[in-house]
Amino acid sequence: MNTLDLNTLQRHRPAKFKKTASALLLLLAVFTFSFMTTGAEAHDSTKIPRLANGKPDFSGIWQTTSAADYDLEPHSNRKDAPPGPGIVEGGEIPYLPKALAQRKKNFENRATDDPALKGYTLGVPRAVYYPEPFQIFQRARDLTVIPQFGHSVRTIHTNNTEHPEDPNDWWLGDSRAKWDGDTLVVDAKHFNDKTWLDRSGNFHSDALQVVERWKYLDPNTIEYKATLTDEQVFSKPWNISVILHRHREKNFQLIEDYRYTLDYDQFYPPKPDQK
Amino acid sequence: MSRKTIVGALAVLGVVVSALPANAHHAFSAEFDAAQPIKVKGIVTKFELVNPHSWLYIDVTGPDGKVTQWGFEFGAPFGLKEKGITKKTLAVGTEITINGYKAKNDQNFGYAVESTLADGRTIKTGGAQDAPAPAAQPAINK
Repeated sequence: MNTLDLNTLQRHRPAKFKKTASALLLLLAVFTFSFMTTGAEAHDSTKIPRLANGKPDFSGIWQTTSAADYDLEPHSNRKDAPPGPGIVEGGEIPYLPKALAQRKKNFENRATDDPALKGYTLGVPRAVYYPEPFQIFQRARDLTVIPQFGHSVRTIHTNNTEHPEDPNDWWLGDSRAKWDGDTLVVDAKHFNDKTWLDRSGNFHSDALQVVERWKYLDPNTIEYKATLTDEQVFSKPWNISVILHRHREKNFQLIEDYRYTLDYDQFYPPKPDQK
Repeated sequence: MSRKTIVGALAVLGVVVSALPANAHHAFSAEFDAAQPIKVKGIVTKFELVNPHSWLYIDVTGPDGKVTQWGFEFGAPFGLKEKGITKKTLAVGTEITINGYKAKNDQNFGYAVESTLADGRTIKTGGAQDAPAPAAQPAINK
């Protein structure tokens, strides 16, 4: 029969609907049950990795997707940078007047003066939001942070030790950390003044102190927050916040990126036969 | 030369190169002039204990009373620490006499071969392998 009897259809709909609804409910129940049983045991997406001592384990390869390294402050696009909302709490960095003049000078000369362009160590916190991956190796007594860019290894001590009494002016400072629940709180100081905070010329002096807070949002996402204090450059402490994503590509690994050797590559390996 | 020999030679070279002290980062003669010895007395304004070379900045008061700023390259932090020099030794305001050589760019920079501290100790503060010995000379100021 090709003609439709609307009356019949309408009369029959409630019964059909009921059947479909109960089938869906049953399906949902089965799904929920299977999720509860298998999920909780092996693949709980809310369960963060932990060390044997129960502390969160940040081991892995991480990277931000933010445009923070182009400019920490909110900025529109320009020839050498995509636009970005910035990662500074409140928008602006509270520079002292004299330091603001220096920052403007840095900005104008950023194409030549950015230490990263010379292949220098990125410093802290820049190595965290520089747009290249970094790897963390962690054990109970410390975390080893290795950025792909440059030739640097940062140790964050978690063995309840204090900053040294006779410090150097380290490129990456001296990092001592404590656990606040599942948050790693790092105190980093004793820096030199030769690194920048981004490629737009935001800078600091050797009086910089960075207090970082590393926290898992889920097993593949870290929330990184930091408070920067530097009485010679800023009028008050200020905060930044970025999200770090775990690299999960198959066989993903760091590839060495030593920029300062590039000019010498033509000489290595030596070619004695070519005069 | 076989590939194996090349790899072997490179490995040996690697061992030799890595055995050099870290403070041989660049040669003395790359930046400083052995023909321009200088000896100055000054007051520390900043001491950067940074790898691969530390730098000491001092205010030098000339015979005419005019104050000029000078920067001197020191050895690596670890080498200095072995000789007893830390940030505290050369705190801002400390007096120091430096015997060394001027920079080739003729600005107020130099290389500190040895330094005499306020307590009278004279310490080798340079780290370069090819740096000449300190010249016997009077200080340009007192």
